[in-house]
Amino acid sequence: MRLGNRIGASALGIMAALAAGGATAQTLNVQLSSDIRSSRPGVNRDALSDMVALNVAEGLFAVGERGDIVPMLAKSWTVSEDGTTYTFALREGRVFHNGAPVTADLVKQSWEAMLAAPDFNCTGFFDGSRGSAVTGIEAPNAQTVVITLAEPDAMFLKYAAQSQCGGMGVTHPDSFAEDGTWDHPIGTGPFVFADWRRGQNVTLEKFSDYQPLAGEIDGFAGHKEALVETVNLVVTPDRATAVAALRSGDLDVVPYLSTAESAELQEEDGFVVKSAPHGGMITLLMQTEDPVLSSTEMRMAVAKALDVAQLVDVATNGLGTPNASLVPISSLYHSAVHDRGVGYAPGEVPAMLEAAGYDGQELVIQTNRRNPINENVAVLAQAMLQMAGINARIEVLEWATQLDRFRSGSFQMSAFNYSNRADPVLAYSAVVDSKEDRGSSIWDDPRAIELVDETLQTPDGEARQALFDELHELYLEQMPFVMLANNLTVSVNADYVQGYSTWNGFARLWGVSVEK
Amino acid sequence: MTRFVLSRLVSAIPTLFLVSLAVFTLIRLIPGDPVSLMLGDNVDDAAYAAMSHELGLDRPIAVQFLMWLQGAFQGDLGRSITTGEAVLPLVLQRFAITAQLVLVAVALATVLAVPLGMLAAWRQNSAFDLGVVVGATALMSIPTFWMGLMLLLLFGLNLGWLPVLGYVSPFDDFGAGALYLVMPVAALVLHECGILVRMSRASTLDVLRLDYVTHARAKGLTEGQVLRRHVFRNAFGPTWTLLGLILGNLLGGVAVVETVFTIPGLGRLIVESIYGRDYPVLQGCLLFVAFTYVVVNLIVDLCYPLFDPRVKTT
Amino acid sequence: MNLGRTNKYLGGLLIAFFLLSALLGWLWTPYDPLALDLRARLQAPGAAHWLGTDEYGRDVLSRLMAAARTSVTISALTVSFAVTFGIVLGALSGYARGWIDRAVMLLTDTLLAFPSILLALALLSILGANIWGVILALGLAYMPTVTRVVRGAVMSLREQEFIEASRLMGHPVGYTLRAHVIPNCLAPVIVIATSMFGSVLLTESALSFLGLGVPPPAPTWGNMLAGARPYMSQASWLGIFPGLCIALTLLGINLFGDYVRDRFDPRMKGL
Repeated sequence: MRLGNRIGASALGIMAALAAGGATAQTLNVQLSSDIRSSRPGVNRDALSDMVALNVAEGLFAVGERGDIVPMLAKSWTVSEDGTTYTFALREGRVFHNGAPVTADLVKQSWEAMLAAPDFNCTGFFDGSRGSAVTGIEAPNAQTVVITLAEPDAMFLKYAAQSQCGGMGVTHPDSFAEDGTWDHPIGTGPFVFADWRRGQNVTLEKFSDYQPLAGEIDGFAGHKEALVETVNLVVTPDRATAVAALRSGDLDVVPYLSTAESAELQEEDGFVVKSAPHGGMITLLMQTEDPVLSSTEMRMAVAKALDVAQLVDVATNGLGTPNASLVPISSLYHSAVHDRGVGYAPGEVPAMLEAAGYDGQELVIQTNRRNPINENVAVLAQAMLQMAGINARIEVLEWATQLDRFRSGSFQMSAFNYSNRADPVLAYSAVVDSKEDRGSSIWDDPRAIELVDETLQTPDGEARQALFDELHELYLEQMPFVMLANNLTVSVNADYVQGYSTWNGFARLWGVSVEK
Repeated sequence: MTRFVLSRLVSAIPTLFLVSLAVFTLIRLIPGDPVSLMLGDNVDDAAYAAMSHELGLDRPIAVQFLMWLQGAFQGDLGRSITTGEAVLPLVLQRFAITAQLVLVAVALATVLAVPLGMLAAWRQNSAFDLGVVVGATALMSIPTFWMGLMLLLLFGLNLGWLPVLGYVSPFDDFGAGALYLVMPVAALVLHECGILVRMSRASTLDVLRLDYVTHARAKGLTEGQVLRRHVFRNAFGPTWTLLGLILGNLLGGVAVVETVFTIPGLGRLIVESIYGRDYPVLQGCLLFVAFTYVVVNLIVDLCYPLFDPRVKTT
Repeated sequence: MNLGRTNKYLGGLLIAFFLLSALLGWLWTPYDPLALDLRARLQAPGAAHWLGTDEYGRDVLSRLMAAARTSVTISALTVSFAVTFGIVLGALSGYARGWIDRAVMLLTDTLLAFPSILLALALLSILGANIWGVILALGLAYMPTVTRVVRGAVMSLREQEFIEASRLMGHPVGYTLRAHVIPNCLAPVIVIATSMFGSVLLTESALSFLGLGVPPPAPTWGNMLAGARPYMSQASWLGIFPGLCIALTLLGINLFGDYVRDRFDPRMKGL
């Protein structure tokens, strides 16, 4: 499988099933581009820490392949009629890595410890500030967990399953040392957290008592069978070194490759390059409160001056697909309405600039060198805007600085990527808000805020579709920023590695085997 | 002598204080903070405020500095914001790794470069001299991130002689550890050789022109004796100063080499703590680096009279 | 075989070549160095583009010419800054000793202990990402090296007879420094300065590698070299040509530096 290989969601399951028949081999060496921050799910984390956490720990439920919520440690659940009480029935016979059986009491303890952790990443989703407050967690018997909310919240399960919350992975109390500090995760997942040498590597070992569910791999749930004895995650900060190590056989998988480096490997035998889009967004943000950009005509002129198809093609080395909507193309909600964009129309730009009263003022595009896609977007957009008579300039910032500007909204334009969002409405809620309430809000419009709030409270179905459609139409009218494409993960593995692919930006290590 | 060393160490205290104060202020003036980085694009102002409070970052800078200083005096440099590790052991552990790499590399570079530079000066304007100058210049023109990668591709990949990835401490397993050090040491030696050769050549040229060399030659000493007895001793001074600077500089971290060869050293820790805005780690690292400088400079100054009898150590 | 003249002419020729390219690049380049041509990306050197094109289809030759000016300016100003302040501080501290020495060393050690990335980051965020921030950051980072070397040289010089004589003759300190001390410690300074010139080009490259150098799309040899790394085996010309520019400029300066030292070294005058 070579050039332009885009693995569809359905093909994944088949591949995994084929791989499962193969012989189990020793060790899988995987690159970690930086060390993990901590080993505790949802606490002091970043994307790589989440990746490790999700291979080790499991929640009551998890995100499925299509973004739906599917059972994991719980075999089923019911929601009370008023939508505030969730009753989970635990699966029987599940054990932690230390051999202790999973009981409702331990699940309750794990949830409570997470919610109480001061540096828990997702506090806002469960304390009433962003989602409904969790008012109680009970364990009426060994196999039943009851969680009550202050008010109904259609997003509760989706919030809890997010990777940034560690999927609310359940860990045994012995994960803490005797002095009460976190030691290492004792979870229930297919891999045991065996060793962590900081700055060097993280070792995961196959959990031999793991009982994989029947069926196929399904997102973070489904058939999760470890096919290698050991996974060695090697901290390799330099991408070029990682590629060299892949070629020499010191690494078997490089999960996150820049699109430029992948172009070279695609041409070579012995490697499989896979590109998988996820729910993150590649955008060119505009500050709608900027004196120049506050005019809708001006923003429209910017959008029409960009040849998005070509921009995305070059910026992602031909691997990305343009998407004018915040609803990912693969989503159920990406209806025909979402295919519409403003379109590349350089001929209309001069008239719009005139209408906007544009007089050659400089527009600064912030970007960084950490993410090659951001840099490409900025360089290409700057050239395209210049050609259309808009005086754009690039300002390269260090990533933390750009992030700081993003957080406080102090930029004119910014080449910025959003990380994966588990649901389209979370993509909208990332950008829509009152700028007074949240400095990082991009799209401050009362109707948009209303629509997002409504979508958050609307269960899946036609009504939700209508809301998404209206949001997109409103976006096209106001053009608060330019949505370019969904972000993508490019991974490469040696051809003797079977069944590997990234999913939603994450390296799933189950179902992967090595056959040298 | 002892008094000299003691007074130098005492006079280092203001340097250490100044470095700490400057780092403390600068890193906080630079936009961006650890909490934003932790939250990434999932910004939630309430979570931001809560985490800042938890880390004590919402207090006035002066208060934060005094608290840090108080800890530092008691030998407690705090804990890393990113990983929660205690800073002092972390810094020492990473420094040990960098130090073994740097000391081996600088020793090798000196042994190779100093005689080469002297020989080139001795035969000034010969083809050999031009060859040395061009070679040294070429080495100085290759960025370490290219040099490292080229070594990696040649010896690790094409020839397959050396491991591409990973690090083993020579104290755990000397053979394997040494194997892992070959390429990073080579990259450093090649790079530092360039400037050392040029410095040694230039100072030798200076000395060769002095009268006593002419006298020595006139006395009928062989060229070898002249070079060894008279030239080397007198020409080594500036090279020695430079060596001290290079050593201090490299001990402060060889971030690029450590990044390319996946060595968990001090340089990478410093760069990562700058990018990650891990304030306590950065402060700890730089305090330690400043201390290393003081010690290295002290040793350089103490050794100066050995090479240049005219300088007194007072 | 005597290569003294070769030094002078080869060095002078190389420097003249790059200065002229820099000048020419200011007035004229074969293509617009900033213009993208997305249909002609990563083209190997050929008739249309003598030195090939980069990942955005920009002409490498034009960019090298435009970069010559920026790179040479950055290096020259950084080195001038470091050398001027370094000599003054180093001579003062080595000659006067006492509290002046301690104060200068305090400053020097503080600066030395600072990683240049941190310095660059701080200055670039205060001054904005432009060449002045880069120059100031690198100048401050390089100054202590000059200071220390000059101080070392001065410390050994001040014990020599002719300095002693100048002092005994009642010449003011400034005069003694200017007339006798500084000229006599120029040899190591010239070596450092010439090496530094190249080192600045490389450090600017390393800063670009770390995302802090002169911002794109403006080209410098350093940021071209840093940006070429992902394409090392696919399009090696992207790295080779800016690398060659740096190497040849450095060689020219080193050779010429040798000549200058021989020409102006006071001890050579009698010969």
